[in-house]
Amino acid sequence: MKRLALPLLLAGCVQTTGGRLVEFSAQASGDPAVVAGGPLSFTSPSGFGVTLTRAHLFAGALYLSQQNPQSYALEASCLQPGVYSGEVRGAVRVDALSPAPAAFPVSGNGTDAQTRSAELWLTGGDVEADVDTTVVLDVAGTATRGTDSYPFEGAFTISQNRMTPPRNPALPGSNPLCQQRIVAPIPFDAQLSEGGTLWLLIDARAWFASVDFSTLTKVSDTPLLYRFTDDSSSSAQADKALYNGLRAAVGPYRFTLAP
Amino acid sequence: MSPFRTTAAVLGLAFAMAPSSARAEVTPPEVVERVDATLPSDAPPPLQDHVLLEFTVGTDGRAVDIHVVESAGQAWDRAAATALAQWRFKPARHEGLEVAARTRLSFSMPAAVLAQDAGVPEDAGVVEAPSPADGGQSSPEPEAPDAGGLAFTVSDAPDAGHPRHELSTTVLGRSVPRSRGASDFQLEVGELQVVPRRSAADFLKLAPGILLTNEGGEGHPEQIFLRGFDAREGQDLELTVDGVPINELGNLHGNGFADLNFLIPELVENLRVLEGPFDPRQGNFAVAGSADYQLGLPERGLTVKGGYGSFDTARVVALWGPPGESTRTFGGVQLFRTSGFGSNRGATNGKAVAQYEGQVSENTSFRVGAQGYAAHYRSAGLLRADDVVNGLTGFYDTYDARQGGDSLRAQVNFDLHGHQGKLSWDQLAFFVFRSTRILENFTGFLEDAQLPQQNPHPQRGDLIDRDTSGFTVGARGGARWRVRLFERFQDVEAGYFFRFDVVDALQTRVEAGGNVPYLREYDLSSKLSDLGAYLDVNVSPVWWLTLRGGLRAEVLTYDVLDECAAKEVRRPSTGNPPGDESCLSQRDFGKYRDPTERNSTTGVALLPRGTLLLGPVAGVTLSGSVGTGVRSVDPQYITQNLATPFASIFAWEGGAAGAWRFGAHDVSARAVLFGTRVDQDLVFNPQEGRGTLGGSTSRVGTLLAARGRGGFYDASFNVTWVRSQFDDTGLLVPYVPDVVLRADGALFHALPFFQPMGAPLLGRLGLGVTWVGRRALPYGQRSDVIFVTDVNAEVGWRWVSLGFSITNLFGAQYRLGEYNYASDFRTSGSLPTLVPVRHFSAGAPRAVMLSLAFHLGGEP
Repeated sequence: MKRLALPLLLAGCVQTTGGRLVEFSAQASGDPAVVAGGPLSFTSPSGFGVTLTRAHLFAGALYLSQQNPQSYALEASCLQPGVYSGEVRGAVRVDALSPAPAAFPVSGNGTDAQTRSAELWLTGGDVEADVDTTVVLDVAGTATRGTDSYPFEGAFTISQNRMTPPRNPALPGSNPLCQQRIVAPIPFDAQLSEGGTLWLLIDARAWFASVDFSTLTKVSDTPLLYRFTDDSSSSAQADKALYNGLRAAVGPYRFTLAP
Repeated sequence: MSPFRTTAAVLGLAFAMAPSSARAEVTPPEVVERVDATLPSDAPPPLQDHVLLEFTVGTDGRAVDIHVVESAGQAWDRAAATALAQWRFKPARHEGLEVAARTRLSFSMPAAVLAQDAGVPEDAGVVEAPSPADGGQSSPEPEAPDAGGLAFTVSDAPDAGHPRHELSTTVLGRSVPRSRGASDFQLEVGELQVVPRRSAADFLKLAPGILLTNEGGEGHPEQIFLRGFDAREGQDLELTVDGVPINELGNLHGNGFADLNFLIPELVENLRVLEGPFDPRQGNFAVAGSADYQLGLPERGLTVKGGYGSFDTARVVALWGPPGESTRTFGGVQLFRTSGFGSNRGATNGKAVAQYEGQVSENTSFRVGAQGYAAHYRSAGLLRADDVVNGLTGFYDTYDARQGGDSLRAQVNFDLHGHQGKLSWDQLAFFVFRSTRILENFTGFLEDAQLPQQNPHPQRGDLIDRDTSGFTVGARGGARWRVRLFERFQDVEAGYFFRFDVVDALQTRVEAGGNVPYLREYDLSSKLSDLGAYLDVNVSPVWWLTLRGGLRAEVLTYDVLDECAAKEVRRPSTGNPPGDESCLSQRDFGKYRDPTERNSTTGVALLPRGTLLLGPVAGVTLSGSVGTGVRSVDPQYITQNLATPFASIFAWEGGAAGAWRFGAHDVSARAVLFGTRVDQDLVFNPQEGRGTLGGSTSRVGTLLAARGRGGFYDASFNVTWVRSQFDDTGLLVPYVPDVVLRADGALFHALPFFQPMGAPLLGRLGLGVTWVGRRALPYGQRSDVIFVTDVNAEVGWRWVSLGFSITNLFGAQYRLGEYNYASDFRTSGSLPTLVPVRHFSAGAPRAVMLSLAFHLGGEP
């Protein structure tokens, strides 16, 4: 009887339901492969020479998902219970020109389930709020093409200024504001571990990849200054392109996981 | 244990002394006290219909020098002699002096035993009470039934086919089911009634391996864990009360939802728990097993009991059992209210029950009963452990004070039992109306998905409002026929079960902060039926070998009208968009469709079951059982014309059960090794707020159980270990406890030294201990250990008794139920919490209750 009972007992003791809960830290910075701590100069795919002197991103929260990026539905609800594998419920303002990581003020927690994608929440708090005046992107610099120079600055918020009418009036809920505030799905294949560090790396160059600075609105001649309009109703290509660049899931953002 | 009960109810029965010439000179002994006798359930079938004992009634009133004159088998003889040894007599008198007298007494087998157990010689029959007209000398109450349904008569004249004897018994009670092995627990509550119990469901703990939890409040049914199953509110456990089914078909909380709260605990006399689907009588939902409550009121007369205790808890119970009637004839009413411990746990309920047992003829008895129950309760629900640790909420607080529910039940049942010659039969008809409303919020603000056709909205709250109302009409019955084979009597039983349910079920989500629903999730009108037929054979070729088993067929039909069949449309009409309507009447591009849809289907399951019994040898019976079972699915999951999907169960077990007597002490014990596989297990789904179908799971385990009873004590102990895992991954099934230990004990005796007005004080002390090991939780977590001790003390004097109970004696702050899942109750900022964390329902803190009872008008 002992021979039978002991293995059964041991088997019962060592087995689990699978998986585990984990706690980890999180930080964000400019991509060290791109930035060195000063102004960032680069040539955009559209042929502008850009020197960024300020690039601050307000990362309101991070969520990690088990959902494959290909599985994200266009009209998916902002919250999809049951698919999240990690969360960092705190905000940090990140200097995207600095490789020095800025730590999120709270620990992240989640599970060791396979993470397939990540979400960057650009919100000052409630992702479903009608009004959110948090500046989620603050940039400044100079773009040049040929002899033209475009000193620029821009500060984006995502509030009623970003509300877009539904494509189909019969589908009024097809484009809720919360979707504007969530950058997803950012490809991220990883498995969280206890005590690990989640690192959000920002490549500010990607924000400007499609921006035609020549369409910017001039706000001052002396000194010369162009400004990105913080409103989706703006018809300027530059405004739309930067906003789309800010919200691009592929390009500006990359996650790594250090044990 | 097969109950074969006697009580001290019949007094003054005169013995007729033989020879008759001496009768004028001798005043015969009189019975002044008789006590319960218990037969081991696994005893071999009786060899004949009675045991005739010869004994001497001494001047001290005790029966001594007991000899078996006519044997029915060792176990039966022992049981009869044991019972007789505990009787007390007024000694015989001769010429004014007390003298010892030798006499005879016949214990007849219960009719139920004769009807169900094989091996009775062909010429044996039930001893009928001889009437004076037959020359018998009847007692003053010749047909008075007792607690076990026994009626004693006195006879000094030979009756047909029987030797001359002085006392005989006949039986009016119902059939006692045959044992299906070591996992078949015939639990007589007995003196363990004194152990504190919060509800009638708590009696289930007398069977091994059962854990009850409740996150829903005082009126919410207990969640039952049994033998490696999370049976939720009965979905995996077939529950009946005197044969009337309690599991509800079509309840949105779970098909098979069972609410035992309508029972008055004091009226629970016996309980049969069969762990595993091994009896062909077991039907739908007998996945982990079945439990049948048998109601009765041993104490005759009027009992009025009132109690008041912690948390402004008050309870008043009135019970009455007419003297001279069967213990199955009784009435009762209970009123209860409490403010509950912590936040939002108040409850109020009322219960009423009445039953009458009588005889249609000498061979046929009947029962008619009615029950009513109404309850309203509040529920605290679950809390996040991190919120408690961070001081964001208290251990006994709630997130959503709208949680709670209502419950109504009205029931009428009527049954017949009869026997004639080699045939006996049972018939039961029942009519049940019940209504259940449950409001629960497991996830806070997560589930309100923004659908494209809806106007933009934030999360409006996840409070689920489930309402299910249904009417059930049904019947069950069976007939047993004894046939002579292998020179022993064997028997064959055929039976049926039928129920038809009409159920309306509505589930909505209610907007936070009010009582306004914003979404209709289910709106079902169902007509459901369950027809079962079985054949059960009992074969005993030799006394030490018995085969029991047969085949059951279960036919389940569904006719479900879904009044909210369409909830989403990808391309709605631009001219007439549906907006926020829950139940849509259009398909793509506005093409009309009715929002309703009807689905009907049927399914058939064949369920073989069998048990092999060896023994008893030295009081020990070995047994092995195999069986298959079935659980029907929720109505919302059926599809037109597709065969009804069942969950199929295969179970096996092997074990040993024994019963012994050491002097005045009865001891029984059993050990079982068991295993069960179910192809679609139910796993708790917090998003749905109930159990939903998961993968196939298997479990293997073992249990030990023992009970000891004597003149001043009754103690029960059981421990169960089980490992339950998914078949595909080998991972443990969450929430199911690995180890459950339960001990119940009662001490009862007249208190020494102090006898006010010459009447003794009778003391009773009850103790219940539950220990549950660390349960497996999702994500490799383990729950805390549960260790709770309850005590109760009572002192009775003549017609009054005073009781004081303490539940959770040591004041342990413990988590009764624990879960790991994602929720967002907006307690820590506006960012949602979306990953799994620990949740729990708080176990009740220490509570005291003082109760006072009056017993009036009972039998002396």
